[in-house]
Amino acid sequence: MLRSISLISKRSNSSSSAALLKTPLYESHLALGGKMVPYAGFEMPVLYKDQSHIQSHNWVRANCGLFDVSHMLQHNFSGPSAKALLEKITPIDLASLPVNSSSLTVLLNNEGGIIDDCIITKHGEEQFYMVTNAGCREKDVKFIKQEISSLQGDLNHNTFEGTLLAVQGPKSKEILQKFVSDFDLNKLTFGQTKFNKFNSIIDSEVHIARSGYTGEDGFELSIASSNDVETKQAQDFFNLLISEYPEVVKPIGLAARDSLRLEAGMCLYGYELNESITPIEASLAWLIPKARRTPDLATFNGSSKILSQLSDRSLVSHQRVGITSKGPAPRDSSSKIFDKSGAEIGYITSGSPSPTLGGNVAQGYVKRGSHKSGTEIDIEIRGKKRPGVISKMPFVPNNFFRG
Amino acid sequence: MISSLLRAPKLASRFSASRYPSSRIIAARFNSADHKINTNSFVYKYLEEGPKTVKYTAEHEWLAVFKDDTAFVGITKYASDALGDATFIELPEVGVTVEAGESIGSVESVKSASEIYSPVAGEILAINQNLESSPGLINEDPLGEAWIAQIKLSDPSVVESSEELLDVAEYDASLEDH
Repeated sequence: MLRSISLISKRSNSSSSAALLKTPLYESHLALGGKMVPYAGFEMPVLYKDQSHIQSHNWVRANCGLFDVSHMLQHNFSGPSAKALLEKITPIDLASLPVNSSSLTVLLNNEGGIIDDCIITKHGEEQFYMVTNAGCREKDVKFIKQEISSLQGDLNHNTFEGTLLAVQGPKSKEILQKFVSDFDLNKLTFGQTKFNKFNSIIDSEVHIARSGYTGEDGFELSIASSNDVETKQAQDFFNLLISEYPEVVKPIGLAARDSLRLEAGMCLYGYELNESITPIEASLAWLIPKARRTPDLATFNGSSKILSQLSDRSLVSHQRVGITSKGPAPRDSSSKIFDKSGAEIGYITSGSPSPTLGGNVAQGYVKRGSHKSGTEIDIEIRGKKRPGVISKMPFVPNNFFRG
Repeated sequence: MISSLLRAPKLASRFSASRYPSSRIIAARFNSADHKINTNSFVYKYLEEGPKTVKYTAEHEWLAVFKDDTAFVGITKYASDALGDATFIELPEVGVTVEAGESIGSVESVKSASEIYSPVAGEILAINQNLESSPGLINEDPLGEAWIAQIKLSDPSVVESSEELLDVAEYDASLEDH
């Protein structure tokens, strides 16, 4: 069993031969009994001692969980051409995005394929902040540099690392509010952001974004950690949240992050998304705002393919869907999907038992025509076909704070 | 279970589904006492004098053989710890005849799935239906109340002759390799 699990890890972590990087919270993870594994070039906690996977998962749905996401890459873009660049490499509509608001979007190649998914925040008409996936770090930076040089505009792009802490769960606001005395955090609704002080604990202003990758209400905190003093303050804050409020706050690792995001119907890059899949195929048509669907404003990469798929869905052969089932869980692309006549119609991208709902939840790609909710299918799991049903996502209703 | 020395490479890509490797430190926590059948369990008490022999496989199954030439099969504590919270256990059908090494079910957790292979050839006499309603038993008492199936051995002599069946010291030593 372990032999096979470690083989899998080698496949998904190609950088395992290189020295693994550590986040600013590394020492805290060890002190908390975090079981560390290689992930996207970093040593990251998968589970913490005295919490099973299901306990961690349920904790976030009921209380407040802390996820170290410092391995993700943070970017700043500034200058007169920053908007033009971002509207070329993603389909985002920055004109209608209010200042201090963020949006999920995707970096696109010229064929409309997804290079990465990311969150872009508008801090000003010429100031943007972006967070991209750790696993895509090298190719993203290379891609952005190439795009900047071909744009020949006036802009600055820099990347930085720091402490990036996702605080997730229904009690996240009440906990963080204890550290912010001069601002009502409920003035931030889902997607809104603010720089604010965290009382006397952290000297620098913290970037607070109301957001969530688990489907729950929560925040993503970007805390400067560019020197020892800053790093120490970030660690102290992380440790304090856990030691001060043990009945509410627990650190949560990658294992529960994956089952939580799956229940929330969210994509994981490398599984649901890759460079040969367009946002329309990924059922993410909402990432192409109306303002960018007219040919003169659709200046983003791959727009001709994406716009044609938008106007004629028959050009989409396979589409991302949610799937529910009972019994053995579909897990990965080794599970093919069949229609009830026995014809192969697609494949699973990820899946697992659902701690919140019972039964199994999964995502996958099926042929258009078989993609409608309620369609009964068969999923091949370890050589045997098992029944499943195409189901609406999110599987677990999301609980974002919309004011 | 799935880390058979022979089967591992093929099964790894087909059957295991965890994105994260299990800790390699686990083995260090185990000693022979962790592999003993729970003496308070139904398995141990099946016949008055307890099992005649207990064997293990490199794939982390245990086999408790009784003098009526039937054997109970389950998974070891090492395996159940590595899997984490079990969410579903698929059991074989009573009356079916299986070969040694044939799949007789699976144990699923949120993070992964593992096949259970029969360590011996024989007929499935009974299955532990408690596991259908309470899969978590496999984490609580893997070497006792969470037995998976009872098998009537086709050839009782294999229990001593088979090199695939390990005694407790050999099994414990095999964990060092993980």
